[in-house]
Amino acid sequence: MSQLDPTIDLPLAAPPRRVRGRIRVPGWVALLLRNRKSRAGLCMVLFMVLVALVAPLISVAHPNDFNLLAARQAPSWHHLFGTTDQGSDIFSQVVLGARRSLLLGAAAGILATGVAAILGITAAYSGGLVDEGVNFLTNVFLTIPPIPLLVVASGYLKSRGMVTMAVVLALVLWAFEARILRGQALSLKSRDFILAAKASGESTPRIVFGELMPNMISRIAAAFVLVFYIALLTDAGLEFLGLGDMTKTSWGVTLYWAQTNSTVLQGEWWPFFFPGAALAFTVLGLVLLLAGIDEVSNPRLRTERPERRRLLAALVGGRLVARAEASA
Amino acid sequence: MSALEVRELSKHFSIGGALRRSHVHAVEDVSFALRPGTITALVGESGSGKTTVARLLARLYDPSSGAVLFEGSDVSHVRRRRDVLHYRSQVQIIFQDPFGSLNPVKTIRHHVERPLRIHHIVPSAQVEERAHELLRTVGLVPPEEIAAKYPHELSGGQRQRVAIARALAVEPKIVLADEPTSMLDVSIRIGILNLMVKLKEERGIAFLYVTHDLASARYVADEILVMYAGQIVERGPVEQVLAEPLHPYTRLLLAAVPDPAKRDAERIGTRKGVASAAVDPPEGCRFVSRCPLAIDVCSHVTPPLVEARPAQAARCHVTAPAPSTR
Amino acid sequence: MTALAEEPAVRRTSRKALLELRQLAVEYGSGARGVRAVDGVDLEIREGEVVGLAGESGCGKTTVANAVLQILRPPARIVGGSVLYQGEDLVGKKPEELRRFRWRNVSMVFQSAMNALNPVMRVGDQFVDAMRAHERIDRRRALARAGELLELVGIDRRRVRAYPHELSGGMRQRVIIAMALSLNPDLVILDEPTTALDVVVQREILQQVEALRRDFGFAVLFITHDLSLLLEFADRIAIMYAGELVETAPAERLGTNPRHPYTQRLLQSFPPLSGPLERLSGIPGSPPDLSDPPSGCRFHPRCPHCGPERPELYGRQTTERPVLREVEPGHRVACHLVEEEEEVA
Repeated sequence: MSQLDPTIDLPLAAPPRRVRGRIRVPGWVALLLRNRKSRAGLCMVLFMVLVALVAPLISVAHPNDFNLLAARQAPSWHHLFGTTDQGSDIFSQVVLGARRSLLLGAAAGILATGVAAILGITAAYSGGLVDEGVNFLTNVFLTIPPIPLLVVASGYLKSRGMVTMAVVLALVLWAFEARILRGQALSLKSRDFILAAKASGESTPRIVFGELMPNMISRIAAAFVLVFYIALLTDAGLEFLGLGDMTKTSWGVTLYWAQTNSTVLQGEWWPFFFPGAALAFTVLGLVLLLAGIDEVSNPRLRTERPERRRLLAALVGGRLVARAEASA
Repeated sequence: MSALEVRELSKHFSIGGALRRSHVHAVEDVSFALRPGTITALVGESGSGKTTVARLLARLYDPSSGAVLFEGSDVSHVRRRRDVLHYRSQVQIIFQDPFGSLNPVKTIRHHVERPLRIHHIVPSAQVEERAHELLRTVGLVPPEEIAAKYPHELSGGQRQRVAIARALAVEPKIVLADEPTSMLDVSIRIGILNLMVKLKEERGIAFLYVTHDLASARYVADEILVMYAGQIVERGPVEQVLAEPLHPYTRLLLAAVPDPAKRDAERIGTRKGVASAAVDPPEGCRFVSRCPLAIDVCSHVTPPLVEARPAQAARCHVTAPAPSTR
Repeated sequence: MTALAEEPAVRRTSRKALLELRQLAVEYGSGARGVRAVDGVDLEIREGEVVGLAGESGCGKTTVANAVLQILRPPARIVGGSVLYQGEDLVGKKPEELRRFRWRNVSMVFQSAMNALNPVMRVGDQFVDAMRAHERIDRRRALARAGELLELVGIDRRRVRAYPHELSGGMRQRVIIAMALSLNPDLVILDEPTTALDVVVQREILQQVEALRRDFGFAVLFITHDLSLLLEFADRIAIMYAGELVETAPAERLGTNPRHPYTQRLLQSFPPLSGPLERLSGIPGSPPDLSDPPSGCRFHPRCPHCGPERPELYGRQTTERPVLREVEPGHRVACHLVEEEEEVA
């Protein structure tokens, strides 16, 4: 779990790369596209985004239309993913549900990561009282048990809209990310180029946002993706338990109704399978993307130290070899 | 007239937890002056505190005690942004590692233009032109092409030249060069050293040249300061000090430098000892455990810096005894 | 064994060859994007001799060392030439044979090797590990030998119980040197063994190596960028530039009468510590990109003697690759200019 290791050094310090002449792609994007895992993950996530975008065009009917004549139908050409016990088209529910899931995940991700980045990095760079203060705040939020808070918030808040959920999820998750980003920034702040910027007279905000942050893009991106899928899973989970707005269209809601109407007991697998598969597909894409970002940016996979140890082991032979290879 | 004067500067770093806290005396009681148009070499082994001195002068750390006099006033604790900016516009630092001192995600243009903009050296319209001029000054041509590049696209020597251009952008009176050549290939080092000499001569810049390489110190510097375990143990004109060193540590250093001429020659004997561990140092000379000349007094009285020859001073009870005990 | 101690350097160089590199070529990558890091290197190391290999970073000197021990890491691979150890070619040997050969016959101390010690293992155990990989020896005896070896490099034998972090950088580097000597190899390759250390420590370590060499009689291949160090410690020096060997000569000779323009300029890049000071010029430009090396003599773009004002020579230098030619017994140079001068003389 390199994600949690605050000693991690060296983020994606990749400068932009020239791709076909003029266009400059940020270096880390180029790197991500070269990594197999992140490329696959990115494709999967983009596919879901595309589905969400064109959802109104490809959905057959309003997802909550009910038609008792067509209830409980197995997948067919007419209803690709079958229908619910109310006769609603599950395909429409799944593709439109993607909108909520993705928007909610992205919103929570942006909120949590934004707060975490600003607070964590500023704290790390400023040190002293600012750092102590932010640390205290982070620790307070880390001690709040997330599940009860989420249950209470989603179950009893008057407005159970997407925005509320995103805010609540961000509130629960930001502290975790702030920790990671602070650790990362701490190791960067003593780098010579930061000292050099300071020595040339740059102001603190400019150093934090102009010099430090661009070097942490990969970590920030990783934080975003992590929050994204945790939020997505948590939201679906809460809805599945019935703690959400059951009148809206989302994967969790479809799953909830499938569960309440005990469809599986009647041999109907599709109301579970398709929303579940969509959820799994999206999360898998995000996890792959995260794994790719980690691989590309984790210096453990690239530093010289294991290389040196490998070299020594290769020379000496013996047990050291196995150990060095395991650590490399 | 000195450009910058350092008086009894000390820096202690705390290590260990709250219960068993000890202090590393990284820099202790260091005094010297930098004069316009001279290069002062600060030599010592790693861990001797020489880099800390440079960073203290660059106001990257706050000293524990002592004063840094600049334009007649102590700047070691100024905090007001305007004052700090003014100091930074006159005192610049070049770091050792040209691979680490440039931000990998920023172009060369950014590095050279930022100081120009921060300190309003030239009107905005002329910033680009001036940046190109600076790159040309340090021998990076064609500047238009170099400016658009990223640090990783340049060689080590070129990057160090960028770092120098950045330092020169504000037209400083004082440049602190922290081992600017030690990470570069030998064939490129001389170019950087020559550039320093040229800038000293043409612009009257006062350089502090931090290095562990005595030969290069002799090549560029006028004055030399030898540091050991946080203290200056010898200072004086470079030729004089290297020809007739007073302090046994300077002699040891000199003997250790590879010199083809003295193959198989005898060298000064050393006793085994741990080098320069300055954690909570006791009273007494810090070199005593390695010193071949040590006498009784060395292990319990810290020797003061005594001018034993004209312009040449050392911290040694034996070779530079204080007048009272002489 | 101690009989070697008083032998003069000249005698040492007249012994039989231990290791011979013949037209060694190493490539990284393949096809059009392949980079020849080492190109046609001929080098001979005789028994008990100290050979220095000098050059700037990226000139291929470390690759040569790795090729000798056959520990090149893909995509690097030997594409030509041979590595003869006591007349036997190591290229194409089976991994198991090589494993037994390394460390026992040729060991290596590489740059910053001190950081390669396993941090969670006692120093002594790492010795035992290394020894037991090569011979049947019980733990107690191996530990005792580790203690002896540590003492040889000037470390208290009780330190076998120490963990690496309890030792200073210089001491760790000595530990590695002691490990390199643990199986009595015939050749020890030192690849920038002291670059990360202070001059005083560097000298102490090198003096120890020299003393051990006299006692044990192993040969040394000393790789460094610091030519001034080699002039003092090596019997013979080979200079590499951009993957090629450009000059080899006995140390004294190279110091006083270097012939290749690169060697000359390299020597002039070290300011003297005594004697008169003059403005030095270093070498303008930077080493070439090996994926697209200059044609002909690889040094010609930086060479002070090579310009269009001498069209005939310039033509040769930019098109025809110079080869090593003997100008004096034991002194070989690869340069068209030197060749021409020799012909005139």
